[in-house]
Amino acid sequence: MVRVIATSTRVRQLTDLERAVQEKQPDLRLVLEGDTPSFRGSFQLANDGVVFDRFSIQITFPDGAFKLPRIEEIGGRIPRHIDRHVFGNGAICTEVPELTLLRGRYSLVSYLDGPVRNYFLGQILVEQGQQWPFGEWDHGKPGLLQAYGEVLGVTDEEKIRRFLDCLGHKKVKGHWNCPCGTGKRIRDCHLDVIRRLQESVPPAIARQALARLNIYRRP
Amino acid sequence: MTDNEYLQAVLKSQDLADDSAELKALTTRRKDVEALLRSAFPDSSPTIRYGGSKAKGTLIKESYDLDIVCYFPHDDTTAGETLEDIYNSVAAALEKDYAVERKRSALRLRDKDLVDFHIDVVPGRFTDDSKTDCFLYQENGEKCRLKTNLQVHIDTVRDSGVLDAIRLLKLWKARKALDVKQFVFELLIIDLLSAHKNKSLADQLIHVWTNFRDLDSPPKVEDPANPCGNDLMPLLDAVWNELGSVASSTLSTIDNDGWEAVFGKVDTGADKSAAVKMAVASVATRTRPWCG
Repeated sequence: MVRVIATSTRVRQLTDLERAVQEKQPDLRLVLEGDTPSFRGSFQLANDGVVFDRFSIQITFPDGAFKLPRIEEIGGRIPRHIDRHVFGNGAICTEVPELTLLRGRYSLVSYLDGPVRNYFLGQILVEQGQQWPFGEWDHGKPGLLQAYGEVLGVTDEEKIRRFLDCLGHKKVKGHWNCPCGTGKRIRDCHLDVIRRLQESVPPAIARQALARLNIYRRP
Repeated sequence: MTDNEYLQAVLKSQDLADDSAELKALTTRRKDVEALLRSAFPDSSPTIRYGGSKAKGTLIKESYDLDIVCYFPHDDTTAGETLEDIYNSVAAALEKDYAVERKRSALRLRDKDLVDFHIDVVPGRFTDDSKTDCFLYQENGEKCRLKTNLQVHIDTVRDSGVLDAIRLLKLWKARKALDVKQFVFELLIIDLLSAHKNKSLADQLIHVWTNFRDLDSPPKVEDPANPCGNDLMPLLDAVWNELGSVASSTLSTIDNDGWEAVFGKVDTGADKSAAVKMAVASVATRTRPWCG
C-alpha cells in the first residue's frame, strides 16, 4: 500500500474521484496497491444524513470498456448465493450492466447512489423476510431477455437479438430487413421505433448486450 | 453537546446489551460450537471459553467477533500429537457443521453460503498443568508455533484504562475497512496512550491519529504474553503507511467539519424498518438485481 500523493495526473484524477465519492460515502477510501486503485470501507445507507445501516465493501475496476466496477461485500453479511444476487466470489449483482450504462452520464458516484444503494436497501428488506423493493430479474439469460426486452419493447429472443444487432450498427439502412421479423424493409415497418431506440441505445452498448446474450449460446 | 459528550454518545450507540439479538445469537452459536467440539473429542476435556472483544470489553455493535478458545491439556494427544494435528482435527470437527476458513492460528466459522458468524475458534495446547500459557499453531507464520496467554491478553486490554478510546478506534478501523490485526491494534493504542490516560477521549483519539500520521515507523509494541518470543512489528509495519494516510485524512476531516463528520450522527436506535421504507420511497431510479 502507498500513501496517496498527488504526483501524477492519474493520481490526481483518482484523488478527485475519492473526494467525489466521499461527499456521499465518507468512509469509502481510495486504496492504491501498486498502480491498481480500489475503494474500501463502509457503505452508508442514510435518510437525511442519519445512517440507518452499513455494509462493508470493496470496489475494484475491471479492465475493459463498459465494464461496471466490481463490488464485493466483505463483511460476510450477505450469503454468497445466486438467489441473493451475489456471485460465489463475493461480487454483488446490482443489475443488468447495460441498463446502468443506458441511463447515461454514468459515474462511480451515480452508480453507488443508484443501483448499489438500491441493491443494499433490497438486501436489508430480504434479511427482514420481505421482497426486493422493485422486483428482481431472473438469473442468467432469462433475466437478460426480460431486461433487454423491456428496453426494446419486444419479448421474443430472436427479435431481441435482431434488434440489438441492428442497433449495434452506427448507421441503420432503411432497406435492411426489419428486425421485427415481418420480412418488410425497415423503412416500411419499424423505422420510427428504431430511430427512437437509436437515441437511447448507443451502438456499443447494443453490441455489448448482444455479446452478453451470446455468452449463453456457447456450449 | 461537547465533543466528548458526542463521542460518549457514539460509544453508547455501539453497546451490545447481553439480551441483544446479536449477542443471543453468538451465545447460542457458542453453545453449538462447544457441543460439537466436546462430541468430537469425547475422551478429552479441552478448555473452551470466550476470548476476544467480549472478554476484553471492547465489543462494538458494528464489528463484533467472538473468539472461542479450545485449549487441550499439555499431555493430551486426543486431538493430535502436534499443534498442527490439533489445528487440523479441530478444523475437521467444525467442518461437519460449518464452512471453516483457516486463518493463521484461528478457524473462522461461516455457514455454507459463507455468511460470517463472527466467530473464530482458536485451537491450542496448554504448555503445562497450570493451564495459563498456551501454544498455538501458526499456519503461515515464520514460526510454526506461538506461545501466548489468553488471560494476559484479556487483562492487558481490559485493565488498560483506555477502553473507550480502543472501542472508538475499533469503530474507525471497521468503517475504514483497515486490515490491522485487532489485538496488535489494541496494543498499539494502549502504548500510544500510556501517558495520556487522563486526557479527554477526543484528545486521546487526536493523539493516536497524530502519531499514526507523523511517525515514520510504528512504535515498538510487545506481546505482553510473550514479550521476547512474538515479534508483532511486521504486522504493524505492513499497515503503517495506510494507517497514517487514513489518520491524516481523519484529522483533516475533524479540522474542517468536526467530529460528526468522522463518526456520523449518533444512532438513536430509531426503527430501522421505517427508515428503510422511507429510503425506498425516495428512490428516483428503480433498479432490479440480476445475476449472470
